[in-house]
Amino acid sequence: MTTALMRRRLLPLGALLGAGALALTACGPAGSGGGADDGSFSYLGQTENTTIINTLETLGAEQCAAAEKAAPLESDSTAGTQWDQKLQLLAGQDALSDLSMAAGTPSLMQQFIDADQVLDLSEALDDLGVADKILPAAESTIKALYGGDSLYALPTELNIEGFWYNEQLLADNGIEAPQTWDELVAAAATLKSAGVQPFTAAGKDGWPITRLVGDYIVRDLGPDALKKVADGDAKLTDPEYVAAADAVAELGASGYFGDAVGSVDYNAALNQFLTGGAAFFYMGSWALANFNDEEQNQIGADNIGFAPFPEVEGGAGSIDQVPANVGIPVMLSKKGYTDSTADWLKCIAENYGDTVLAESGVVSGFALENPPADLPPTTQIVQDVIANAPSSVLWFEALFTSKGTTVSQTNGGGLGNGTLTGAEFMELVQSANDEG
Amino acid sequence: MTSATALTEDLRTVAVSSPREPRRRRGARDFFARLPMRLIIAILLVVEIYPMLWMFLGSFKTQSEFLSEPFWALPASWSLDNYVEVFTTGGFGQYILNSVIAVFPSLFCILLFGVAAGFALEVLVWKGRGTVLLLFLAGIMVPAQMILLPLFTMYFRTGLTGSLWPLILTYIATGLPLTVFMMATFFRSVPREIFEAATLDGASMLRAFWSVGIPLVRNAIFTVGLVQFFFIWNDLLIALTFTTSSDLRTIQVGLLNFTGQYGAVQYGPTFAAIAVNVFGTLALYLFLNQQVMKGLTAGSVKG
Amino acid sequence: MEKTLGDKRAILILLGPALLVYTLIMLVPIVWSLGYTVMDGNPIVGFQFNGFDNFVKFFGDPAAWEAVGFTLRYALVLTVLQVGIGFLLALLYVFWLRKASGLIRTIVFFPVVLPTVAVALLFQRLFEAAPTTGPVNALLNSFGLESVDWFGTPDASFWIVILMDLWRSMGFYAVLLYAGLVDIPDELLESARLDGASGWKLIRSIVLPLSLPVLLSSLIFSINGTLKVFDTVVALTNGGPGNATTPLTVYMFETSFTYGEYGYGSTVALMLTILCLLFTVFIFRSTRRDLTKG
Repeated sequence: MTTALMRRRLLPLGALLGAGALALTACGPAGSGGGADDGSFSYLGQTENTTIINTLETLGAEQCAAAEKAAPLESDSTAGTQWDQKLQLLAGQDALSDLSMAAGTPSLMQQFIDADQVLDLSEALDDLGVADKILPAAESTIKALYGGDSLYALPTELNIEGFWYNEQLLADNGIEAPQTWDELVAAAATLKSAGVQPFTAAGKDGWPITRLVGDYIVRDLGPDALKKVADGDAKLTDPEYVAAADAVAELGASGYFGDAVGSVDYNAALNQFLTGGAAFFYMGSWALANFNDEEQNQIGADNIGFAPFPEVEGGAGSIDQVPANVGIPVMLSKKGYTDSTADWLKCIAENYGDTVLAESGVVSGFALENPPADLPPTTQIVQDVIANAPSSVLWFEALFTSKGTTVSQTNGGGLGNGTLTGAEFMELVQSANDEG
Repeated sequence: MTSATALTEDLRTVAVSSPREPRRRRGARDFFARLPMRLIIAILLVVEIYPMLWMFLGSFKTQSEFLSEPFWALPASWSLDNYVEVFTTGGFGQYILNSVIAVFPSLFCILLFGVAAGFALEVLVWKGRGTVLLLFLAGIMVPAQMILLPLFTMYFRTGLTGSLWPLILTYIATGLPLTVFMMATFFRSVPREIFEAATLDGASMLRAFWSVGIPLVRNAIFTVGLVQFFFIWNDLLIALTFTTSSDLRTIQVGLLNFTGQYGAVQYGPTFAAIAVNVFGTLALYLFLNQQVMKGLTAGSVKG
Repeated sequence: MEKTLGDKRAILILLGPALLVYTLIMLVPIVWSLGYTVMDGNPIVGFQFNGFDNFVKFFGDPAAWEAVGFTLRYALVLTVLQVGIGFLLALLYVFWLRKASGLIRTIVFFPVVLPTVAVALLFQRLFEAAPTTGPVNALLNSFGLESVDWFGTPDASFWIVILMDLWRSMGFYAVLLYAGLVDIPDELLESARLDGASGWKLIRSIVLPLSLPVLLSSLIFSINGTLKVFDTVVALTNGGPGNATTPLTVYMFETSFTYGEYGYGSTVALMLTILCLLFTVFIFRSTRRDLTKG
């Protein structure tokens, strides 16, 4: 009797399960959102980035006190390693915070935009009359990144990239900051024969090496070369593109990145440069915080020079097109954009640039009202480069699919230690891009 | 699953004695005959202990010591700065509390539900129990990554997000398959007559479970509990997915706090946090050992 | 009596809570995810039914097959090693150390307690090649050999992942198997010794067959755990170099959450589940045959 009962009970249960689950599967996002007008201004950031939240808190206490009173800032954070996953889960429930750091991969960000979850900032900033507070270089970088004619994120950082070098080491070996790729390669050869490791790079992370490929392409084929690849007008496997990967692979094969570059991580590479273990270090200006820290920097802040990525002879690009990025910018949720959020947005646009530079020494993409007088020398270099750059260019993977980005960066180490040829590398990345 | 009992006994006592034929002494020849084995044991101990010692020493090192000094360098000073940082900037106290709140109720429920279900599936007689047991077994094979999205949606729509409930519920559910399976196999090895005798005495099945079943398997419960504890305590994936606010972070998620935005790890504080975590678990383990030992010497039923 | 043992109320009370929680939190999401395997899309852009396209894609996806290859190699090698070395350690405890084995067992068991993040940092430093030379490479150098870029070469990093998991888990399996060996009655061993069996012969004819049930559960436990490896790889190599150490779980996770192809990710997960099922059934079958033979 029991068994019959159980069977009768179990069978319909199973059927119910299946049907119910399929129905659940099929139905799209619904339900309430975390970004609704709940009287507060919610912010979600990566745990690792404390600059943005600290600046927002300062603003809330000072310049934006009125907005803070109407809608208090409520912040939270989640680990950067699984940032995209968390954003996807939240967006799936239409529950993005009022303000949050954008997705790590631009293509995911584009999905948010397509799903109409992200606020169009061009329009919003115009309405508030503060559109001029965003620096043109930053604006163009973000637009290029996410496509379209509108701005979908605020540039809380503006970084330039290039070769930082140890002035002492270069001077000891009679080398000047290289202006062309050939000069760079020659300098590396001189350094290596003098027993100095020419470059240090985090091959384990991959991107510090693939950046070189991207920059070479831009110098050789012009600033729109990577856009052509994204639009399908060119392929990375075309010979002129492969030449760039080959040029970098050659540095790797010659051992200019040192031993075992595939295993070196960000920390180790940075430390190697700051303790005088290598002459050149390709990195973004976010590393200034480390350069300006006397405990980490054993070679002295005055001893660090900046050389823009060199020109390639006969190339269509020029040395003053500076590789730039906006770090991870912040986006506003469309659903959470209420009057009180608008007050916050206006206040952030007007005051963020000054505050973040004064408090954290970070160069942002917001216009400065009162630039601080005494900046560390390296920070001053960055300010000058940004001020003088006629235009900026994006990095190698900026317009790739998520899969293309991952494949490119996981294989960057292979280029650096000479186990992959340029053609093999480009083949892998192109096919990943085609798939995504 | 007789292993369960023996494993328990083993874990419980640091020096358990298994009666064997006493070894005869043979002097110097014996010493040399044993030398290779002693060497193997010495190597084994070095391989196990040295890395753990290294991690502990690491909790006293500064970042530049980590990066520039060789692997075997001792810390320059025995300063507790890293530990202070763990509890002040790291906010580790809250994370420990969260881990405790999430893990122990889950562990209790896993064991209670799991043992009861194992009993119902193995001792009680009804048709369909084989099917239900297989249903539980299927849970062992499914990768946890597969159920994250549906679970997130469920928790979100029921309003459980923003509390530790998602963690507790998920831990219980993912811990059940193995527990039920192990408990069922364990009850299988207990002679059925014991339960039949209990029911002949007129005890209800629930009483029989409580007063006969549980005491019979207390060693197994301890073993399974220990295994599940380490699984849940060290879980990162589930905790990362379902903790939506920094107030809810567990220890494992908190360990990631000492990583910078561009991948820079702060080694010193990370290892200090790990040391705190490990000493905590060790203390707990030794405490539990004592408790179970006491219970046993008090003359309770032995599995 | 049968009536009491089949008491409906007791079944409901005892089984009810477990079945309820398990059904709601595991079974419903599993079935729900099965629904995704025949769909295309992700939670942001929505899902569309696409029939068996995901399965077709899986069988023609070289990256997926590489992941299957790594997963299988890893699971088989690690299962053989950790159960094998665990068994040897257990023999060591029972036949060599005897009374003195307690402390050593605890010490060898201990790494299981350490967080994965910690062990991964440790192994990264142990096998470091540059800029500072780790102990392993220093040892190689002292023998006049060149440093090896362990994490930069696919084969080397495979073995480091294996080594790291072995270091962590062999003590655990040793204790598990030790428990089975201790249960073997002394009289049996004694009478076998009187018959002239010793050393390997004793182990093969008496110890191995008698500890087969524990070995079996260790194998199933191990294979199901290793096929689903995730933490170790993410913390140690993050799937690199290239995707040389990317298992199915990591591939599934990347596909779903980084590439935004949630439907396809669910398909990959289903394939992994089937793989686990096949191995479990295979182990059950093959040991049963051995049992009837012996």
